[in-house]
Parts: sequence; C-alpha cells; structure tokens
Amino acid sequence: MGPPAAICARLLSKSYGAVAACDAVDIELHSGEIHGILGENGAGKSTLMKMLIGLVVPDSGTILVDGSPVQISDPVVAASLGIGMVHQHFSLVEALSVWENVALGDSGRLDRTAVRGAVGEMGERYGLHVDPDARVADLPVGLRQRVEILKCLRREPAILIFDEPTSVLTPEESDELFGSLRNVVEQEGRSVALVSHKLTEMLGVTDRVTIMRNGRVVERCLTAETDAGALARAMVGRDVRLRSGSRPSARASAEESPSTDTRPAPVLEFRGVTVAESRGFVELDDLSLVLRAGEILGVAGVEGNGQRVIADLLSGLRSQTSGDVLVSGEVIDVGRLGATIRAGVAVIPEDRHDSGIVLGMTVAENLMLADPAAIADRGVIDRAAMGEMARGLIERFAIMCTGPNAPMWTLSGGNQQRVVLAREITASPKVLVAAQPTRGLDVGAIEYMTDQLRQVASTGVGILLISSELDEILELADRIVVLYRGEMTGEMSRSEATREKIGRLMGGDLT
Amino acid sequence: MSLAVGSGRGTGGRVVEVVTIYVVCGMAALVFSGLIVEAVGSDWTDVGKALLNGSVLKPGRWGGTIGVTIPLAMVAIGTIISTKANLVNIGQEGQLLVGAATATYVGSRISAPGPIVVVLILLAGVLGGALWSGIAGGLRYWRKVPEVLTTLLLVAVASNLVGYGLKNPWLLLDPEAKLGNRNMVSRQLPLDTRMPRITLWGNEISISAFLAVALILLVGWMLSRTIWGFRLTVVGQNRRVATRFGISESAHGMIAMFASGGFAGLAGAFMLTGGDFANYRLVPGFSVNIGWVGLLVALVANNRAMAVIPMAFVFASLRTGSGFLASTGIERRVTDVVQGLIVLALLLPPAIMFIRERRRALASARSRV
Amino acid sequence: MGDLFSAVLDVGTTESAYTAAARFAVVLAFAAVGEWVAERAGTLNISVEAMILAGAFGAALGYHATGSVVLGLVGGMLAGGAVASVQAQMSHRLTADQFVVGLTLNILVLGIVGFLDSEWKLSTRTASIVEVPFLVDIPLVGPALFGQPWPFYLIYLITPLFAWLVLRTRWGLEVRSVGENPQAADVSGIDVNRRRRQSIYLGGLSAGLGGGYLLLGQVGRFDPGIVAGRGFIALVAVIFGGWTLRGAIFGCLLFGSVLSFRLTLPGLGYDLNNEMLSSLPSLVTIAAMALFAHAVRQPEALARPFIRGLK
Repeated sequence: MGPPAAICARLLSKSYGAVAACDAVDIELHSGEIHGILGENGAGKSTLMKMLIGLVVPDSGTILVDGSPVQISDPVVAASLGIGMVHQHFSLVEALSVWENVALGDSGRLDRTAVRGAVGEMGERYGLHVDPDARVADLPVGLRQRVEILKCLRREPAILIFDEPTSVLTPEESDELFGSLRNVVEQEGRSVALVSHKLTEMLGVTDRVTIMRNGRVVERCLTAETDAGALARAMVGRDVRLRSGSRPSARASAEESPSTDTRPAPVLEFRGVTVAESRGFVELDDLSLVLRAGEILGVAGVEGNGQRVIADLLSGLRSQTSGDVLVSGEVIDVGRLGATIRAGVAVIPEDRHDSGIVLGMTVAENLMLADPAAIADRGVIDRAAMGEMARGLIERFAIMCTGPNAPMWTLSGGNQQRVVLAREITASPKVLVAAQPTRGLDVGAIEYMTDQLRQVASTGVGILLISSELDEILELADRIVVLYRGEMTGEMSRSEATREKIGRLMGGDLT
Repeated sequence: MSLAVGSGRGTGGRVVEVVTIYVVCGMAALVFSGLIVEAVGSDWTDVGKALLNGSVLKPGRWGGTIGVTIPLAMVAIGTIISTKANLVNIGQEGQLLVGAATATYVGSRISAPGPIVVVLILLAGVLGGALWSGIAGGLRYWRKVPEVLTTLLLVAVASNLVGYGLKNPWLLLDPEAKLGNRNMVSRQLPLDTRMPRITLWGNEISISAFLAVALILLVGWMLSRTIWGFRLTVVGQNRRVATRFGISESAHGMIAMFASGGFAGLAGAFMLTGGDFANYRLVPGFSVNIGWVGLLVALVANNRAMAVIPMAFVFASLRTGSGFLASTGIERRVTDVVQGLIVLALLLPPAIMFIRERRRALASARSRV
Repeated sequence: MGDLFSAVLDVGTTESAYTAAARFAVVLAFAAVGEWVAERAGTLNISVEAMILAGAFGAALGYHATGSVVLGLVGGMLAGGAVASVQAQMSHRLTADQFVVGLTLNILVLGIVGFLDSEWKLSTRTASIVEVPFLVDIPLVGPALFGQPWPFYLIYLITPLFAWLVLRTRWGLEVRSVGENPQAADVSGIDVNRRRRQSIYLGGLSAGLGGGYLLLGQVGRFDPGIVAGRGFIALVAVIFGGWTLRGAIFGCLLFGSVLSFRLTLPGLGYDLNNEMLSSLPSLVTIAAMALFAHAVRQPEALARPFIRGLK
C-alpha cells in the first residue's frame, strides 16, 4: 500500500464528436510522489489533466479529492481544492511584471511588498530565482516557466500537474526543474503529476507511471520495476525500435567518403546569411551551408540559437539582413511573397498551429493549400477533385479523421502533423525543411516520421533537419552543422560526429 | 464552438430544440415590445396590425419594403466579405454616405444618355464607398491601425463631409435651393437618370432589386466555390499560413475592405437612384441608419450570404411598417425598439445553445457521481 | 492661417471659452473614465453612447419623480447601469458579439427613450452653480474648473478612484490581466467574463452619471438628441490617450475644447468651418494612431471575446 490518494478519478470519459479522448479512465495520485503519465499524442493525457484542473468538463465519471466526490467545473474550483497546473503553453500575462503575475489568482488585498518578498523567498527555497520586477515579456522561456511554477506553488497546492514541462528547456534547465520538483515532493509532501512522452524523464524522475493509449489506461507500474522497453511497448502497443546512437542507413555511409565529382548538385545554399532583429540583436550570423540532393543535413543546437529563423526564412515569413539564399543554384528573395514555395521549398514547421495548418478549415482544405490550382478550373474549385485528392492522401498517410470534410481541430496532434507531412511531401519539393518534426509526437509517430523522411531523401530531395534533439540528428543526418547564438560553430560528417563533440559545440565550447 | 453530439439526442431533437429556442426568444422580444406599447396606454394589436399592413399587407406596400431591403442587403453582403477576411468593418454608415455623395456628384455633373449616367452613378457610389473603407484598410495594413477603430471614426467624418458638401454649390448643394432657408439638398436626379421601376402585382419596385439578388448570389458563390474565396478564408483564419503559401494578406485584405465599402457605397447609390428614399436627392442624414442596420443584418444572418435576403426583408418591414403607426397614435420610434429587441432576440439563441451544451455536459457528469 | 492663429489666441484668452470647453470635456470625461476601465478589461464598449443617453433620461425621470438632483443623478447611474447590464450579460455571459450588442443598444435605447419621452412629459431644471472659494479666482481657468454646477466636481472624485481601482487593487490587476491575456487569467483561476462584466457595469454607472450631469448640470431639459455623439468621442478619447487614464483625460480636454469652439468662435466674431471642427476629434485620433501605432500598445485582447478553450 502506498500513501493515501490525494486525488482519485473514476471512470472519467470525454468525447469530442465521435472521438473518445478519454474513455473510462481511472487514476490515483498520491501525496509525496511524482506520478508519471505517459502516452502518445492523442492518447488522452492532456484531456485527462484538463478535466482534473477544470478546463474540460467530463462527459461522465467521478473525481474524488481526499475521498469525497467533487465537481470541478472550472480552474477556480480546482484551485480551491488544492489542484494546480503548470501549463505547457504558459499562462502568464506578458504585459504584467513577474510579481503581478505571481499575485494573479491569489485573493485578498494586493500587497506588492509581500508578493515581491515571497517571490524571493520561494526562489531561495526551491532554487527558482527570478527578478520580481521584470516584465514577463522580456524574460526568456526558461525563466517564464519558473514564474509559472512559483505562481502555482504560491497557492500551496496539494497536487501539482506538469504538462510536458521540458519541451522548451535545455537539458540543464530540465535537471534543475526536476531537482526542484523532488524538493517539493519529498520535503513538503505534495503530489506531482508529470505528463510527458519522454521515456527518460519517466524513468529518471517519477515514482510511479500510468500509461495511456487511445484514451484508455493500458498499464500502471512502479518506476523501479520497469524499463524503457516495457514502457515504450505499453505506450504504442507493439515493439518499437528505440533510438540509439547507431545508424543503420547504408546509403549514407556511402556518402561519407565523397569524391567531388560524384556528389549530387546542391539544392539549397546559404551564403553568409545574416538576420538581425530590429533592435540590433543578431539572430543569424553570417551563416553559410550547402545541402545536396538526397542528403539529410542536421542542424543541431540548443533551441533559441537561430534554428527558428532558418525555418522562418525558408517559409518566406522573414527575410535576411544580408547574404544570399540559393535554391537549385539560383538566388531567391525569400522575403518576396511565395518565392520559397515556388522555388520548391517545403516546410514542416516547428509549430504547426502557428504556420502549418488552419485549424478552422477542413482536412481537404488544409491539404490543398500548397497547390489549390491543381484541383480548380479557372479559379473555380472542383469539389469532386478536391474530395478525391484528400481521400487519397488520407489513406496513403493513414490520417485518422472522419473524412476530407472533418474540421482540422478535431484531429489529434499526430494526425495534424501527418496532414502537414502529406501536403509538403506531395508538393514534390526540391528541399524539405523539417523543423523539430517529431516534437510532441509519441514513439510510434516518431518512427513513422523518421521513416518518411528517410524515404523522401532517397528520392533525391534535400532535407534540412532542424532539431534540438541530438538523438534524432545522430540517427537521421548524413552531415551535421551546429548552431550556437546564430553562428555555425561546427560542421562534420556523421562519421566524425560524437555526442560529446556536438554537445561541446552546442554549448559554444570551440576549443 | 463545438457542439458535441453523443449525449443521446438525435438530430431531430436538436432541430426541435433550436427552433424552440428561436421561437421563444422571438416571442419574448415581441412580448417585451408589446409591454412597452401597453405601458404608454396604446394597444399592441393595433401596433402589430399597423406594422404588418404598412410593410406587406396593404396594396402596394411590399414594393416599398423591397426598396428598403435592397440597400440593407447590399451593406450586409459587403460586411460578410470583410468578416471572412477577419476584418471588423463597422463603418458602413459612413461608407454608404460617401458612396451616396460621390454618386450624387457624378449624377448632377455628367450629361450623357440616361442609362450611361445611371451606370456611372452606381460606379461612383461603389468607388466612393470603397475609397472610404480603403482608408481604414490602408491604415490597417501599412500603419497597423486597428480597422475597427478607424472605420467607426470615419463615420463621423463622412457625415460632416457630406454636410459640408451640401452647404457648397461647387460640391453637392443644389444651386437653385433657397439658401435663405438653409435648404441643404442636392439637385434632384433628372427622370432619365433614375433606376427604372417596374410594377408587379400592384407593387412598384426598382430593378436594382434584381441586380442586388444577382450580386448576393455571386458573392455567396465566390466565397464558397472559388480559389479567391478559399484564399480569403485562409488569410482570415491564419495569416502566417497564408504568407507561407504565397497568399498576400494585405492584397486580399484590401480587396475585402474595398469590396465591403464598395457594397455600402453601392447601397447609397441604389438609395439615391431607387426612389424609395429622399426623392432622388441627397439630404442631410440621408443614410437613415441603413449602414448600421445593414451591419446588424449581416451579423444576425451569421455571415451566410443566403440568409442576408430574408433577414434584410424582416428589418426593412419594420421600417416601412412604422409608416402606418401614425394612425395608432403611437410614436414611430417604437419600431426602433422592436428592431433592437429582435436583434437581441436573434443573438440569444446561439449563445443559449452554447450555454446549454456546457450545462448538459456538467449535469450528465454530475448524474453519474 | 493667420485667421486661425488669431482665433486660437482670442479663444485662449477668453474666460468663457475655458468654461465652455470644461463643460464639454467633463461629460466626455465621465464617460471616458468608465470606458477606460471597460477597455482595459478587453471590451471596446460602443454602447457608451446609449449609456450616456439612458443616464440623461434616467436623471430626468429621477428628478421629475423626486425633485432632487442627487436622486436624479442616482437615477442616471441606474439607467446607465441597466444598459451596461444588457451589454455585459449579452456579450460576456451569452458570448454574443460585443459590437452587435453595442450597436443594437445604441439604436434600442434611442428608440426607448425617444418613445417614452414623447409619451411622458418630464420637467427638469439645472443644478445650482457652486463656486469653490479661492480656486475660482484663478485667472482664465478658475471659473472653468471651480465655478460649475456642483455635480461637475464629482469628476475630481471618480477619476482618482478609478485610477486606484484599476492600477492598485487586486480587482484592477485581474481586470488588466483579462484585457491582456484572458486565457492566462482563466487558468489562474480568474472568472474572465465576470471581471469583464463588472468593468462594463462600472463603465455604465460612470457614463450614466455623465448623462445625468449633462442633463441636470448643463442642458436642463431632456431631448433624445441630447448626447449627440459624445459617447463615441469619449471612446475615441480613450483610444487617443493610448489606454492610459491620463491620456484619456487629456483627450477629453482636447476634444472638449475643439468641440466647444463651435460655440465660442461665432461669439468672438469668427466664421468657422463647423464640419471641420466636428470632424477634428476623429481625424486627430486617426492621425495619432497612424503615427504612434508602434509606440502605443492596446490591451492585447481588446474586442476579443473569451470562450474557454477557444483562442
């Protein structure tokens, strides 16, 4: 018998249309424990947590706090029951200062001095230091998360829910975070729920794991009694290849000893590309690189070191301050509307909701975005052709949805990503930019994505793989460049690459 | 707004529910209007009869109602275009006025065969309205000024501008109007530059009615069936996706803005040439709230092109019906009250259904505790 | 140009011009301080026009019934609050579009009060002038700021009160947060739409008081056209002021002065372009927004409805 359950959900269900996001889920969170909730995207973890915090109202089921049934109709009720959540997408008001954000959601008189003092005191206690007077808009991501956690802890919650907390953090920041979490749990007897799809976090941090798949709980276990393979199998329901540093690609090894003559032509070139922000901050500094047909070029680096700018440039969303971008040997003006897409650059963006899909439109409409003219006659959309095109792609890419006319928002994250992939690949590009292509995806979907990328490369498309996950780069890339503060700090072939070497370059250590 | 099915109710039950809510809200608006009428000692049945007689029942009345429907529908269909691009244009009243003014200017200056002048008047109306909304659009895309504010602010400017024009003979004032009486009117359009009117079952209607219906069908079709409409929707829903796929946000947005003002301006030109308003002259206060009400029509039509015509007709009926209120001894303004209450009543049902959905989910969760 | 210059100079040295400007500006200010609160919470409240009108009518009704200016003003506040409650409930409980509700209310309230006014004859008068000793003797601006009907001085009370409420209290912090990022406020446990409704009520009370002052402090007799677009100008002043209270009050003073020129200039022997002056507040605000759009930040969620789960 473990400690008593701080919160307990019985037969919790929630459906969106015909899709059951959560189907009769039972879960118990205990005091003094970190409870991992593992699952693929669309497995229902987020929905489950949102029901506990009152952001989603369950269709049926019971929630018991300290043994008595409760009705959590909104976050106010959740807070009064001692349930707090640190959100994946931050819940801070950027225009306000740190202390104002921390005070938000308290009750009683607004006492500036007291709140500022508390920010400092909690910063000491949990190792979460942050300037109480800074405006949140001016803070980097890691610090924003600290503010978020402080805000949550200030209400002394008995149960603290973390939703994918490390997806925006560096490894060091992640370690610090988990250190603080341990303090919170062990010294203060709180209960922590950690929602994640990262197996290493589950194994390294939690006491107990609940695994979800397709809206159901498929397994519960003590962390000490399980291993990565077992967790992964339970999560996807079959054996999966776990990532390792080894790389099975035979094709690429042939390219490791290239002779100048036989190397394929460059499809994408950056020549001294510099991007400076209006305030003068240099986001990309004199970057030069060459991507050849059929090659996967990995761009490694801790997030926020210029990767996003590269993807934005090639999406035509920004333009460079100086330097040239060449596609198939021709200089293109990326700032000109539609120039990159005409030149044959396809992009799987890092944030699909931001620039990848239109949530309010249908699957078919999202699929036709790249080339609407193909299913239209003199500007008039041919509905039949549109449906046919969409059904074909839905089948080929195994997109789970109710049909071509399903609104995009009804799809799970993984299936939305498949829509993006389907559209970008079928546009027959010369260059495919894959920015964090497996972010937020489960093991099964990651496997699907990496297979697809390999296959696309084998048809002669040059792939620019931008990723902050070293494993992904090492597994897929033929060649690797490392970015640090917008500058290229190293370039090497896969065979020359070691984790240690890349890790040093990522940290700006050039010795 | 997600309307989750699965609570065990069939589609039929839902339709009944929706219809019931609409009927109840509509009745509530009417009852409330009736109470106000009764409160001042009049009889609500008399008022109701007068409204119906004035708008459709009495011989020759529904022609006039259609005359009011036309500009309302034009304003509304234009609004739907800008809304599609996620632009909030609330300055149709001003755009309509400017359109009417440019139309008047052209109509009183150009001497050419009548039909040509009519066409030029309509074009001038479109241009005037488009120019006025275009200012807001330009500021939106080049200076990032929220269009909701500029369109609203430009209404006051438009009305002052027209007022100024009507004081000066070199602009809009009829040189023969008696200045001593401060008669601010434009010259009346000559007979041959008026929109032809035809008689149908004892009702006179301007042929602009047919033009208006054709335009509404065209816009509805363009928004839903063409690449242009598709791109406009993408721009309206996610501008970064639009940019990424080479769809110009500013170009599409400007076109939407021009179109929406252009339709308001056309409404003004139709009012000028149609004969159902102000007797073929521009006068102060010419727009008589048609811009505001047209905007309401678009919103209660929930931005569906096909719903514009019936909604515009309902609102027009209130206006023309009010002409018969004098006999009941009640102030005409009561129709403003009824109109306002009806809009509120039509706004309620979608909101109520949304709330009920949430309640139902909560209740079903509670019932299993 | 020379004419304009000497006109401005003449006006600038005429005591009555300041008084006229202050009378115009104060009605705007009553409405603007409330509108400011509503906009900081994220509502672009265009029914402020209707709130002033309802306030004026409510005040007429209250005075007619009781013969007391105080109760008249209370009636004005209640009427403004009634309009506010419809706006608030419709747009921030039932999630109807705030502009539609606002537009409808402007038409509806005009209809109702016009209708009732024609049916009931209400007799009213203006409140007495109370001069503040010493301060009224300040040259030029003394009588304008301290020699007015007594309800005028309420503006000196509610302006700092509203500033304190919004900028210093917890309620104000929550109001500002729902105007900036309602999603964040929501997950922080703040009832977003409730705060927005409350801010609209406050706007309604203060606009209603403005309407009451307009009737009982200045005009003295109710007429459905009494407000004449002052609500829109107050709304413009808030925007012009860049969503700061200080800026909004400055906007009211500026626009109040410009609009009062229409009354003062002919008296000083100047022929003026009335239409130009009437357009000036709108034109100045548009120009200001076009020039300073990058420097001034509007509340991030202004005019965006909040429905949980939808962004």
